[in-house]
Amino acid sequence: MDSLHAIGFYVSSGVLLIGGLGVALLPGRDVRGASLAVVGVALAGLYVSLSAGFAALVALICYLTCAALVAGPRYRAVEVVVGPLWRQLGAIAAGGLLLVLLYAVFRGDFVSAKFFGRVFGASAIGRLLFAHDAVATEAVAVLVLASLVGGTAAWRIRERAR
Amino acid sequence: MADQGAGALTAGLVAVLFVAAGLVATGVFTAAWRRDVTAALGGIPLILAGAGVAFAGVARFAAAGSPHLLGQEFAVLLAIASVALLALGLGIAGREGAR
Repeated sequence: MDSLHAIGFYVSSGVLLIGGLGVALLPGRDVRGASLAVVGVALAGLYVSLSAGFAALVALICYLTCAALVAGPRYRAVEVVVGPLWRQLGAIAAGGLLLVLLYAVFRGDFVSAKFFGRVFGASAIGRLLFAHDAVATEAVAVLVLASLVGGTAAWRIRERAR
Repeated sequence: MADQGAGALTAGLVAVLFVAAGLVATGVFTAAWRRDVTAALGGIPLILAGAGVAFAGVARFAAAGSPHLLGQEFAVLLAIASVALLALGLGIAGREGAR
């Protein structure tokens, strides 16, 4: 990785983590949606610095859609019944998970290989998606279909309830 | 290459996995900390983004066998799955909120 890509990687990483903390901590759905959009843009930049241009394009579209969903008018707040003690324990567990992952990465010994792919690589990824791993692609397609049907059904029930 | 010298800024798989670990932990923290269930759903895209970054990093730095772009492929699938899961969760939460 040359210096230009490395600078892009570190800048994108910093913005990405700041956006993630914004999603976690900021009040208000519109601000959280903006933070999720920042996450999408930074994630796309990080993928570009990793020579994954097609993944960057798809991630940008998907995460901007996520931001629009979070900040959109159909958002409904549902309060959880779990007490604050369990929430605090969950937050501590998340910190513990971070420490375990960082320790595993720091102590890990990874193979180093030369990268032969191109910057965008849409055709090679398309061949993988639709030929080599068609079952995984179909599973994600079923998930998208279920989410569309479920979202539409929930929207119709809510409209009838008014 | 001139910019590959001793003082050149570079990044490797360990740096990528550090970022991925931070994203996954931030997503888990979001899911655990938010009192609002629909706000906690915002942790799902973060967790899947962390997994996607790890996959793309392995594809870039350490994919010794074939196919080399398997990590990028799964990063694409995870991004699509994140928007689908978030839409489904927000739809279900909207239904519950209307009751």
